[in-house]
Amino acid sequence: MKTVAAIAPVLALAAALSAAPVFAADLTVAFPGAAPQGQIMVAVFNSQANYGGEGQPAKVAMLDAAAGQTSVTFDGLPDGDYAVRAFHDLNGDGKMNTNPFGMPVEPFAFSNNAVGNMGPASWERAKFAAAGATTQSIDLK
Amino acid sequence: MTPSRRSFLMGAAALSAAVATPEMVRAAAALDVVAATKADWALATQDVEGDVARQTMRLLHGRAPAGLQGALYRNGPAKFRRPGGSATHWFDGDGMMRAFRIQDGQATLEARFADTPKRRTETELAAVVTPGFGTKGDGRARIGSNDDANAANTAVMVAGDQVWALWEGGSPLALSASDLSTQGFVTLRDDLKGMPFQAHPRYAPDGSIWNVGLAGNRAVIWRLNPDRSLSDAQVVPLPRASYMHDFTATDRHVILVLQPWVFATHAMPVTAGLAWRPEMGTQVLVLDKDDLSKRRLYELPGFFHFHLGDAWAERDGTIRFDVAASGDPRFAVDGARVLVDGHGVVPGDPAKLALITLRPDGRADMTYSAVVGEFPKADPRRAGLKRSLTAHTSGETRGRPLPTGLAVHDWDSGRSHAFELGVHQVVEEAVFVPKPGATAERDAWLVGPSVNLKDGRTELHVFDVARIEDGPVATWQADVALPAGFHGVWAG
Repeated sequence: MKTVAAIAPVLALAAALSAAPVFAADLTVAFPGAAPQGQIMVAVFNSQANYGGEGQPAKVAMLDAAAGQTSVTFDGLPDGDYAVRAFHDLNGDGKMNTNPFGMPVEPFAFSNNAVGNMGPASWERAKFAAAGATTQSIDLK
Repeated sequence: MTPSRRSFLMGAAALSAAVATPEMVRAAAALDVVAATKADWALATQDVEGDVARQTMRLLHGRAPAGLQGALYRNGPAKFRRPGGSATHWFDGDGMMRAFRIQDGQATLEARFADTPKRRTETELAAVVTPGFGTKGDGRARIGSNDDANAANTAVMVAGDQVWALWEGGSPLALSASDLSTQGFVTLRDDLKGMPFQAHPRYAPDGSIWNVGLAGNRAVIWRLNPDRSLSDAQVVPLPRASYMHDFTATDRHVILVLQPWVFATHAMPVTAGLAWRPEMGTQVLVLDKDDLSKRRLYELPGFFHFHLGDAWAERDGTIRFDVAASGDPRFAVDGARVLVDGHGVVPGDPAKLALITLRPDGRADMTYSAVVGEFPKADPRRAGLKRSLTAHTSGETRGRPLPTGLAVHDWDSGRSHAFELGVHQVVEEAVFVPKPGATAERDAWLVGPSVNLKDGRTELHVFDVARIEDGPVATWQADVALPAGFHGVWAG
């Protein structure tokens, strides 16, 4: 008969496996129409609170659009709801530039190509479920 | 809305109570009322459902004068009502560009909706959701930029092989001049993307084009080259945040008329944030075209206006221009809402023509004519220069909103030369078309449409400016009725 000591490592391994997500999402965010200029800043949020500014993005990326990089894949994200914000820093100054009346002049977009109501797109409009291989194709405007 | 469509809507709503939202039921009820009790002028704000392919207009009277060849492009709202919610103000309907083309004595008409993000969203949702001048909108709106709310419905500018549909809160929308198809919003310079470009550009004698765009107590002053490329854009501070639809210019001044209808709060729609404060009076800000920091401010008693005439400066520096003025903004707030309701009494007195004089010593005065008039237009050969004549629509009364005739007012003689087309007509703005090769101010035609309420058809009329009282020298009729438009431009 096996003793508890003999099966302890098996129990420990089982515990470790059950703490990790059983499935994982590989999220590809693509900007197929993006101009070959500057860089595209991408932020992926995993909750409404984080998306709304109360926390940090789960993932960020800076795509070298001038060099033709217009998509990025984030591997191994836990399955769940996410939203993406992106803006295209055409002149590479690291900032979203605005016109003299304060409106953005560089393209920006949200997942689902969601549009806000006189503000950023809401979590409700921008969120999508990521599971397995997931792609968001976004038009920067 | 025909009875069969109305009953389908009500029946559908009854069958699927879970799907029929309160907005849908209210909208259907509003359409019901319109169908039952429409005023005789309601055709002037009727919806158009689709584009109108080019059609030859039937000559009803007279003949096209030899030498009158070209196109009248006109813009105006042509779609207000959708099952899930409607625009509640005349200024908020979807823009539809019209082209009346006169060639070899024949006239054609075509019309095409501006393909805007607003129209796409509201077609998809089957509801008007976008906030506008008088329409509140709702939470379903999709507005990521001011051009997402752009109705592209107010005026026109010719730009090479394009015509630009002008609004007031956003960019011009370029359409193809030949088939009126939408090409895209115009960005005059990348760092100025989305800056407002209003509906009344002023054409200077040197070929440059000036315009204004407002944001509260700041204005952007645009100057374009004759080829429509940007020459300069400068932001200037204003002494108050007035609602300003129009502005004017002499050959060397930019003139902003700051009425006492001021933005008191941030609210949508636009009218909800505006307060009428006549005790503030009206201020007139004059800027030097060569140095916009050089300014003079004049004071006048308070009045309300939408439209100004071209201004001119005399040698001693006296500046004059006309205005279609009224006592208060009742039409802007309530009258334009009643026009879309399609029934009821339109509040507000019709505007009257007045002449404003700004004197070198800093005094200003305003002299009202007795003439009811709106949509003032003048000789383009004299834009920014001394002139005598203002062409305008006429005949509006409290009992019958919207014009019934056209007139030419002579500021030198004080005389008005008018022609009444009749109460069965809704007469629209007419543009001044100079006779080819002629220089005298009266050597010109007036060209403009009307909505013939009795025949249910749009008409196009040509008048001789020197003989307005003789009536139209030519009238054509289309086989469709388009709702009344706002502003247009002649491309000869």
